[in-house]
Amino acid sequence: MAAVKRLKRVAAAQPGFMSFKSSAGSDDLNSGQRKRVNKNKKKNWNKHSDIQDVEEFLDDVRLQERATGGLISEKPDDSLFFVDIGEQRKYVQPEVQEGKKGKKSKSRPLRIDLILQHDSLVPPPKDILAHQQPNAKKLRRIAENAEKLAAMGVLPRRQKRLLNRRPAITASKSKTAANNFPDRPYYDLWGGDAKETADPYYLEQTGKKRVKRPEKLNSKPSVLPAVEVIAPGGSYNPDFFSHQALLLEAHEVEVKRERAELRIERQLAVNREDTATEETVFQELVEGLVEEEEDEDEEEEDVSIRGGLQQEKKTEKERRRERADKIKSQQKQAARVFTDKKQQLFQLRSIQATLKRGEQQTRERVAQRKANQEAEKSMPRRLGRLRFQAQDLEVQLSDEIPGSLRTLKPEGSVLKDRFKSMQKRNMIEPRERAKFKRRHKVKYVEKRAFREIT
Amino acid sequence: MGGLQKKKYERGSATNYITRNKARKKLQLSLADFRRLCILKGIYPHEPKHKKKVNKGSTAPRTFYLFKDIRFLLHEPIVRKFREYKVFVRKLRKAYGKAEWTGVERLRENKPGYKLDHIIKERYPTFIDALRDIDDALSMCFLFSTFARTGKCHVQTITLCRRLTVEWMNYVVASRSLRKVFLSIKGIYYQAEVLGQLITWLVPYQFAHDHPTDVDYRVMATFTEMYTTLFGFINFRLYQTLNLVYPPKLDSKAESELKAEHEEDYAMDSESYLEKLSALSASLARVVATAEEEENQLDLFPTEGEDQENMQAREKEQKEQEAQKKLFEGLKFFLNREVPRESLAFILRCFGAEVSWDKSLCIGGTYEVTDETITHQIVDRPDMDKQYINRYYIQPQWVFDSVNAQMRLPVEDYFLGTTLPPHLSPFVEEKDGDYVPPEKLKLMALQRGEKPVQEDEEEEEEDDEEDDDEEEEDDVDDEELTEEKNLKKMEGTRAQGKTLAVKVTPGKVKPWETGSVGNKVRLEQEEKAEEKRLAIMMMKKKEKYLYDKIMFGKKRTTREVNKLTAKRKAHEDASKAQKKQKKAKKQ
Repeated sequence: MAAVKRLKRVAAAQPGFMSFKSSAGSDDLNSGQRKRVNKNKKKNWNKHSDIQDVEEFLDDVRLQERATGGLISEKPDDSLFFVDIGEQRKYVQPEVQEGKKGKKSKSRPLRIDLILQHDSLVPPPKDILAHQQPNAKKLRRIAENAEKLAAMGVLPRRQKRLLNRRPAITASKSKTAANNFPDRPYYDLWGGDAKETADPYYLEQTGKKRVKRPEKLNSKPSVLPAVEVIAPGGSYNPDFFSHQALLLEAHEVEVKRERAELRIERQLAVNREDTATEETVFQELVEGLVEEEEDEDEEEEDVSIRGGLQQEKKTEKERRRERADKIKSQQKQAARVFTDKKQQLFQLRSIQATLKRGEQQTRERVAQRKANQEAEKSMPRRLGRLRFQAQDLEVQLSDEIPGSLRTLKPEGSVLKDRFKSMQKRNMIEPRERAKFKRRHKVKYVEKRAFREIT
Repeated sequence: MGGLQKKKYERGSATNYITRNKARKKLQLSLADFRRLCILKGIYPHEPKHKKKVNKGSTAPRTFYLFKDIRFLLHEPIVRKFREYKVFVRKLRKAYGKAEWTGVERLRENKPGYKLDHIIKERYPTFIDALRDIDDALSMCFLFSTFARTGKCHVQTITLCRRLTVEWMNYVVASRSLRKVFLSIKGIYYQAEVLGQLITWLVPYQFAHDHPTDVDYRVMATFTEMYTTLFGFINFRLYQTLNLVYPPKLDSKAESELKAEHEEDYAMDSESYLEKLSALSASLARVVATAEEEENQLDLFPTEGEDQENMQAREKEQKEQEAQKKLFEGLKFFLNREVPRESLAFILRCFGAEVSWDKSLCIGGTYEVTDETITHQIVDRPDMDKQYINRYYIQPQWVFDSVNAQMRLPVEDYFLGTTLPPHLSPFVEEKDGDYVPPEKLKLMALQRGEKPVQEDEEEEEEDDEEDDDEEEEDDVDDEELTEEKNLKKMEGTRAQGKTLAVKVTPGKVKPWETGSVGNKVRLEQEEKAEEKRLAIMMMKKKEKYLYDKIMFGKKRTTREVNKLTAKRKAHEDASKAQKKQKKAKKQ
């Protein structure tokens, strides 16, 4: 660095040197008196010696280098001067600009970019470290060593540790495919059981053991078959009689339904006698005005009779007679019972018969109850708010029966059949679709624009 | 002495049950999740015997579950997954609301899912258990696979159901286990015998859906989710038993044959394989290429008496089954455009026939209409322009009826344009003495190997008249006489060793009409009848009562049968008369 400085100073001392700012130093020299300072100390040298001119000069040198790429005094004359021979170019440029006006305006760099551009002509200093690497020698040696070891088959410790790590974590993270993935793989589920290797006590205590399914859950809730085959009358080309039988069945269902409907209608009907006529209306108005007196009379009579009876006292004679009567009737009763018992000896046969009849009755009832219980197993149970309602019977009328398979029009829906079958087998409870309930009332407002028209 | 006072509803049935809402709260699940869990785990609501006790004095109708069931549900690992899913949805909604798209993406990536494998294993500990419960799964999958992809349920579910059903059909074809088919107005019922289990399922007709509104689709989707899992595992196992590759692969030979030129026209590359499989026209690849299945015979053990009879019966049955499996073997079918391709191809392939169809109908047709070796063409239109001489043109019902009859029926009744005989249900099994429609009688006669009697209608009529006479006699209220007659009838049937079902129209053999040989027979019969009467006389009162009851029941059934046959005859006469009238009119 020092060499460069010196060179510059030398250049400045030369008579041909031109400075950019020539006037800067002259003011300082003229102003005020010089201060006296001992110059025997190095500190004072630094403090009080005037180096402004040198600094200015050096600034100027730097500026020249930045702006022109070197000292102007060293430049050849050709690069500094040119011969002015008029304005020829000025006409050429605008033509070009007119031709590509739109494009040029787009491709021109932004002003901010121009400002930020590196405009110094002094090249930036070279980065020495770019080509140097710290510890290069050491690293090279290590790499060589590793290569040699790898060739021999010895793995470094870090790699060994990586290899030794358990791979279990990656397996558990693998995504489970959706159950309805069309190409999902299947395997032999019931094939050779992989025995539990772990300690059963450990599994039980840590909650990893599956709880055994109770046997009772494997029994079906109904004895009905999963797929009930339609009656022979439901064939697409049925035999006459089986078709008639099916029609009859459907007819009976329909009749029952109609009867139920009729019953409700009948119950809802208004009785003609209940309607108010003029007469009844009048009676209602008059009620309580006319008949009051009669009622009162009756009540009074009742009271008097009852009172009279209570007040009368029994005489001794009467009491005696009553007692005798009572004893007599008791005796009579006893005699009656005695004779009855005697008579029963002759009724033995009929008694036996009644006993037998009673036994027979109980036996029949037991059988009936058993049969009912059996039948109940195949009946839909009441599992919720709603009762099971069987689906409409699929029937085609005689004139709907197709002549051939091509013209067959399928009846009913298999989906509904499946759904109802599940309800019938007590697998799901019958439900109705949730009704849509509006939380707030809908407000209707006429828009103003619309109102103006009408 | 007194101790604590007993409180009401703290023991007994009140503590054995739990209401749905309480159960839901105990499990900390929403109602939808709770229903889903119950369906998946196979826990159903229960109707208590004493509702008022269980409901703590209230009589309001409620849904009850057994308390122990709910306690069992508490251990289910899926419950946690449900809760996780609930949280996931909440987070996702929040992220959406805040428009945090990276967050949404991250959440989506970590969407919690669950598996049902362990539940299936738990519910069906053995393979046979699962196979017994497959009816539901089959019907449901077949149903879902026919749904249109309109957003009523997940498209993926539909595709999965389709795949599983195709696999199932291919298995049934490969194992030749189809037994019965019934075309009903609702759908097609199939019955197959797989590993000794009778499996019935219902397949809807194609394009026959209007979506009913009163069906809970969410519940159905949950059932389907469970059933698809179950069904897939069953399919895997079934394929294993037949040494077939799973997932099914077409035979390499067949595959090269099926390499059509215009494959892209039918389906996309990703779907064309499934389509080819569902065409059912080619056989499947096996794990170990076996030349032919060796005939498996029943092991013979020296037995005696009844066992031997049983054995013979079983052997006979097996022979019949073997014969049925090869019902259509060697026949070559061609399906016209208007017939239901899938069901027919499935059935025909199940019995060993070769099937093909028009190129425009579906992928996988193996030969053209012009092939000279075709033996049957299935047609369902009134008329055909161009007909080949060396093949039968039959209506599709022939195939179904033949399968049910376990024999190739005469094709004459099913020719193009003829009025078809009724399609009887193979699922009805008549007991002795029940009414049997005459079509079925004819069929049974055919099965026994008798030649069908067709042109002697007059004779039949005569017979019928005789029958009528008899019936009139029956109707006479002289009870003793009728009873005797019945007895005689019974005797007769026993002597001839025939079933009553065939004996609905007796009267061909009348002992007093025949000659000296007949006399002998009559004597014998009278003797037997006498013996019988004596035996009846010797009966105890109780037994007599029972006997009378049985006889009364039989008499009633025969009376009903006679009524029905008479009705049928009247109906036929009427229709015949109508026909004649029409003919006369035409002339």
